[in-house]
Amino acid sequence: MRPREETISVGGIGVHTWVGGQGEPLLVLHGAGGNRGWTRWLDQVSARFTVWAPTHPGFGRSDDADWMESIDDLARFYLWFIEAAKLGQPHLLGHSIGGWTAAEMATMSAGALARLVLVAPVGLKPETGEILDVFYYSPAQLLTMTVHDAKTVPEWQELYGRPPTPQDIEIATRNREMAARLTWKPYMHNPRLARFLPRVTNPTLIIWGREDRVVPVECGEQYRRGLPNSTLTVLERCGHLPPIEQPDAFARLVLDFLGGDSRR
Amino acid sequence: MKLYYFSEMPHHEFPDEEGDKYPSLRLEFPNRFFDREKAAANYQRYLTEYEFADQAGFAGLMINEHHSTPSCVNVGVNMTAAVLGRTTRRAKILLLGNILPIEDNPVRMAEQLAMADLISGGRVLSGFVRGVGVETWWSNSNPVHNRERFEECHDLILKCWTDPGPFRWEGRHYHFRHVNPWCLPLQKPHPPIWIPGTASPETAVWAGRRGYTYVPFLVPFEIARELFDFYRQGAAEAGRTVTPDNLGFLICAVAAETKAKALEAGRHFVWRMGPTLRAPAEWFAPVGMRSRAGSQFALRARPRSLSAMSYEELLDGQFIVAGTPDEVIERFARVQRELGVGHLLLEAQESRMDHPTTMRSIELMGAKIIPAVAAL
Repeated sequence: MRPREETISVGGIGVHTWVGGQGEPLLVLHGAGGNRGWTRWLDQVSARFTVWAPTHPGFGRSDDADWMESIDDLARFYLWFIEAAKLGQPHLLGHSIGGWTAAEMATMSAGALARLVLVAPVGLKPETGEILDVFYYSPAQLLTMTVHDAKTVPEWQELYGRPPTPQDIEIATRNREMAARLTWKPYMHNPRLARFLPRVTNPTLIIWGREDRVVPVECGEQYRRGLPNSTLTVLERCGHLPPIEQPDAFARLVLDFLGGDSRR
Repeated sequence: MKLYYFSEMPHHEFPDEEGDKYPSLRLEFPNRFFDREKAAANYQRYLTEYEFADQAGFAGLMINEHHSTPSCVNVGVNMTAAVLGRTTRRAKILLLGNILPIEDNPVRMAEQLAMADLISGGRVLSGFVRGVGVETWWSNSNPVHNRERFEECHDLILKCWTDPGPFRWEGRHYHFRHVNPWCLPLQKPHPPIWIPGTASPETAVWAGRRGYTYVPFLVPFEIARELFDFYRQGAAEAGRTVTPDNLGFLICAVAAETKAKALEAGRHFVWRMGPTLRAPAEWFAPVGMRSRAGSQFALRARPRSLSAMSYEELLDGQFIVAGTPDEVIERFARVQRELGVGHLLLEAQESRMDHPTTMRSIELMGAKIIPAVAAL
């Protein structure tokens, strides 16, 4: 199914959005690395769901939002986005900072959402380990640290195989700046989030890579304990990017979960 | 042209091969290599050198601040200013400077600077800096807010000094409901403000608009001239005339009786150009700290990093001046001819340059060089 690109205006901010597929709406929130576009797993999931994959304000080709200060702001913004795009009560899937945003949205307005898929979300302070300080490393170093084994990533060549153009570099810098704006301090977590998680009774699937070097898998356990109606699935030989490291297995997990029980 | 004495108060008291094991001497070089006894002695020594520079006739004593690095253990520029305010008599005390974006309490900053100005009898020159990235990591301050915080912190300090209290401040980054500092600077309306520059055209324009003294640090002459053009552009916007008194320049310099001795001493400056600047790019320039224009200018300003240059190249480029008094005078005169500055800031001690060498250099500058360049 060929996706289309739309700019959806929310509060005066133009949000570049990939839209495609058929079926119930599924809102997909990307991580700090930015919106990778219509990758393989999205293509598979869009066979049964209408996927809305916006680019966060300040990232990629969406408008600036330098007034934003935190993931709280982004979460409120996406609750507004759901109304602006007339998504009704969508399923919500978020990866990394997108997962954190999804969790915050659910604590703010659980009833606005159907099922939740949280993929290696940041947002909670690990009980023993640490979240990798991604801003301390160069983009090139990070690329190898975020995946378990680049050789096993099916779309590596399409995504990272060619030297970046000046426009790619500009977008990568922009993404990194906005991520810093939203997550600098407290670094990549909200000390109060865990207190609100019990409010979220939406069926929730948490997915993590066993070899995640960015966000320790123990955070997955912490989310599972905090969210009353959640399960945690850990993918072996997988790092911080399950959707592109194991797209087929990942898409199947998502489809099985979302296609399961009827909506709340 | 006026001369200013400056030491980074280095703590080069560890085997170099230990430092080499780490990606940088900053942030991650473990502080188990900090030698408390030597540091205590060094502070006494460095302050003695500053006091001697005052007696020798330097127009100003420049002090600066860094954190989490042996290259500079002057970790509190206002503390040093207060000490020198009491132990020196004539020279201006140039703080270059306080790192505004990492400051969480501009009101306290305004009070401390006012107190230093009062103690020193009105000799404070208050420099404000954006800082290098290392201090952003040290303070965990968001680099994308660096410029906004610099400007807002500056505005609040100025308001503390010039507007009658009490007043309220509700800004974007700073919030104070009851501002009424019971400590105001002796100088009216406030101590002169100095701004250093290494690469940001925006900073030069900003300083020019306000008529602050602007000082590029260790850049090639042609880059300093470009930065001064940005400064003039800002000054013109505000209808200000630019005189040599608005412009300064910083280089490293040492004088000795013979050229051989001076060249031997000058070699100590290579440490501050090389090993102390070695670090991953993200540590000195975290994401968002510089604007796109600033980043592009920085690349042009430093086609080759100082750390990649040999001692001879650093001498040729006049980042380091080392010679007999006559040779040094000739070099300083060249700076004045090339740049038309009224203030020349001399990093005049570094690394393991010893106390006698430093004192002798200060003495020679006082006896021969300061009088000679005063007329330039």
